[in-house]
Amino acid sequence: MASVNLEKIVKTYPNGFEAVHGVDLEVRDGEFMVFVGPSGCSKSTILRMIAGLESISGGELKIGNTVVNNLRAKERGIAMVFQNYALYPHMKVYDNMAFGLKLAGLPKQEIHERVTQAAQMLEMEHLLDRLPRQLSGGQAQRVAVGRCIVKRPEVFLFDEPLSNLDAKLRASMRVRLTELHRELRERGEPSTAIYVTHDQVEAMTMGERICVLKDGTIQQVDSPTTLYDRPVNAFVAGFIGSPEMNIHPVTVVAYDGGLGVELGDTLLPLPANFAEVLRNRIGQKVQFGIRPEHIGTPQSVLGAVQHGSLATVKGTFRLREHMGNEVYTHFDLGGHEFAARIPTDFAVEIDRAERGQPIELSFIMGKAHIFDVDTGLNITLSALPAV
Amino acid sequence: MYESKRLGYLFVLPFILGILAFNLFPFAASFALSFTDYPLIGSPTYIGLENYEKMVFDDDLFWKSLTVTVSFAVIVVPARLAVALFIAQVLNFKLRGINFFRAAYYLPTILGGSIAISVLWKFLFQQKGLVNIILDTVGIDPIPWLASERYAVWTIVALNTWQFGAAMVIFLAALQGVPKSLYEAAEIDGASFWQQFRNVTLPLITPVIFFNMVMQIVNCFQEFNAPYMITEGGPLYSTYFMAIYIYDEAFKYFNMGYASALSWVLFFLIVSIAGVLFWSSKYWVFYSGEKEKAR
Amino acid sequence: MSGSKTMGALPKRRLPSNAEVLRTQRRERISLALRYIILSVVGLLMLYPLFWLLGASFKSNQEIFTTIWFLPKDLTQLLDFSAYYNGWMTRTEFTFATYFLNSFLIVVPRVLVTLISCTLVAYSFARFEYPGKKFLFSIMIGTMLLPPIVLRVPQYLMFKELGMIDTYWPLILPSAFAIDTFFTFLVVQFLRGIPRDMEEAAIIDGCNALQLLWHIVVPLLKPALISVALFQFIWTMNDFIGPLIYISTVEKYPVSLALKMSMDVSGEVDWANIIAISIVALLPSLTVFFLAQRYFIEGATSSGIKG
Repeated sequence: MASVNLEKIVKTYPNGFEAVHGVDLEVRDGEFMVFVGPSGCSKSTILRMIAGLESISGGELKIGNTVVNNLRAKERGIAMVFQNYALYPHMKVYDNMAFGLKLAGLPKQEIHERVTQAAQMLEMEHLLDRLPRQLSGGQAQRVAVGRCIVKRPEVFLFDEPLSNLDAKLRASMRVRLTELHRELRERGEPSTAIYVTHDQVEAMTMGERICVLKDGTIQQVDSPTTLYDRPVNAFVAGFIGSPEMNIHPVTVVAYDGGLGVELGDTLLPLPANFAEVLRNRIGQKVQFGIRPEHIGTPQSVLGAVQHGSLATVKGTFRLREHMGNEVYTHFDLGGHEFAARIPTDFAVEIDRAERGQPIELSFIMGKAHIFDVDTGLNITLSALPAV
Repeated sequence: MYESKRLGYLFVLPFILGILAFNLFPFAASFALSFTDYPLIGSPTYIGLENYEKMVFDDDLFWKSLTVTVSFAVIVVPARLAVALFIAQVLNFKLRGINFFRAAYYLPTILGGSIAISVLWKFLFQQKGLVNIILDTVGIDPIPWLASERYAVWTIVALNTWQFGAAMVIFLAALQGVPKSLYEAAEIDGASFWQQFRNVTLPLITPVIFFNMVMQIVNCFQEFNAPYMITEGGPLYSTYFMAIYIYDEAFKYFNMGYASALSWVLFFLIVSIAGVLFWSSKYWVFYSGEKEKAR
Repeated sequence: MSGSKTMGALPKRRLPSNAEVLRTQRRERISLALRYIILSVVGLLMLYPLFWLLGASFKSNQEIFTTIWFLPKDLTQLLDFSAYYNGWMTRTEFTFATYFLNSFLIVVPRVLVTLISCTLVAYSFARFEYPGKKFLFSIMIGTMLLPPIVLRVPQYLMFKELGMIDTYWPLILPSAFAIDTFFTFLVVQFLRGIPRDMEEAAIIDGCNALQLLWHIVVPLLKPALISVALFQFIWTMNDFIGPLIYISTVEKYPVSLALKMSMDVSGEVDWANIIAISIVALLPSLTVFFLAQRYFIEGATSSGIKG
């Protein structure tokens, strides 16, 4: 079957610029792996190296048990969905899907079987006779996916396929693609998939495992939940989750109750397990991170007591954004800007607050993270309860 | 202001006047004159279809000239397009100096229409000109290019093909407009270089091929400068293009009526060929332009 | 899974990755080298005749007819401009000074009126709305395909009636009416690509149409207008059949007719002279081309692509 193995993969451009610095990764057979990261992190470059569209400057790439560095794209058993669909504009949908099979010399009957089967799976049998310019964005993307399915590749590659679609369509296509993947896997067909996106929502909802990249290096490879709960550094912590995690510089201080962090003139007490790892950092500056969903009003967090200590603070209200079931609340604390997600039912006071007015908020400290100022590494990772 | 019809008409007025005076009126007049005998002195005399009858049944020179013109176009247009496309394809690469080459190939087109180049070209093909000197060094006997009925027209063909630059520049721009991801998708589908050329490149540049083809045919049929200067329509009328025939009849022999008839036949021929091309275009020209409404 | 062979089954072999990288690099380099070779060979074939002719203007007749290499054997001959002098002076009563002046007397006015009329007409097509606009525009496209040869005879007769034979008027006047539809088309396409924002701001500021045209639109059109001027310059300098039909006095000959005359007059004897003066005749076009290549190529491609 088809796993994908990257061993010390390097990409250096002719002008000397090294874009990818020795990447190691194993994508398991049948897995749906997402590459995510900000623009310029080289996620597309790595995908294209796997595809064979870019040359590999160093390291070894294996698909299955075969080293494929020296194989051309068509020999690697891959299929790719492009961001702009790349459908042959002068061929009908049927011919677009059949093109690769025709080149491979498959008999007409089998081509017909495969194409109709894929069309059924994607609910687009009625589109087979159309030209690409007669398709909507979503339909065109489905055809691009269909073109891949008929080839029965070992590995599916997706290069930001949903970026060109509007928000609503993106949401429904996400579901469709994920279901398609599960269906293929249940049938026992090869279904290893590598999916590149810059949208962390897509990554979190679609990926079985996510590989977070920054500047050509892997930051962390884990399941969505693990990435969310146990980010390995400040970058990953800030990248995953929306709105972004609040990360600000604080000083570690000791007080008679234990250890805490000082944010401006506010003291935030730390839970006991954190205190263990921070003992030798008293007086030092560190980065304090807490997700907006882990900040609430004193009433709204009452159910979260089991997650560790709560800290109640007085912040200065700045702005609220109504999201329906939640209110994104922006406030200042200790000279820094924070965002909190407060369930609407508990946000009555927030609703009435005026800019500059003090409001009461509660931090679920057990869900906070402490990062090293220089390396960005998550110091409190080891202090989290074992999974 | 742009809704003002008055201003719109005002600005386009020169064109309307010009078209009427210099195009439509002469166009109609030329048609009318073709049915007359008009030796410039005196007035035109109506003679019905006599000019056309004479042309078709009595005028060997007409048929000779027509054959020369048509076979010229049939050879030169594909040759020029093929060379232009080939060179454009070679140039379509991240080459350093691409601008230099592009300018170098375009230069002949710029100079080519001039009399100076015709003079120089005539000189190249002299009995002892550069072309024969080169042939001599590779052991081929010198060819009497300009004096031979067989070979004279090839000097004109060479001159015209030399001017592939304009078409090449247009092809190059078209090639650069083909999205790279299509080639990549074809690569993954397993297409070889030629298969990619046939299935990705060619279909997408058919509009440009079509445009070039039509413009070139229209131009080839009116070829005048080179044959007039280099071979003077000879030897033995082997380069007596229709444009020269029309010129001679009108401005050398002052048979205005007959000249008009000839020019109308030429015009009709050009229009028919262009018409056939336009009609055929819906079968092989592919416009990947506007998106149609999704159903 | 159906029993058919999976497309894309992988061959089982192991190769170190370095060999592959080197192999692709080598393949890419060979492809690049091949391209350069083809381009250079073709370029040489294309341009060598010009070099050879240039060299021939410095050689004796004997040497011209025997050597392929373009430079004269005796390089000091490159300093001998006698062919140029003789060619320029011609053996007639007029020198090429007169002929070049005539050419400019035709070219300069023609370029000017072309620029003005094309701008006005293109402005009308690209910005204004009025009934019949589409019809007029398609007529414009149609005349681009109309072979001028059909119109030669009647136009001649018309100018004869107006008493303009043997003057430069027939060569300049039609261009004043935007008859060179290729240029109008070029400017229209260019103008269509420019958003109206600045013009609308100026209208709000109170500009009338002519002010708008002169202060806002024309500056924006500069690249297109330069292309038009360049092309019209070259085409008019090269125009042969026009002057041939209308100009009969030698004194009024432009360079194109004068060259033909030189050819007729001289025999086998004065090849170097003829070549020399032909090269000189090419100089204005050459200079213009080298100074403004970009505008030529952009003008040519934009008309071709949109067409």
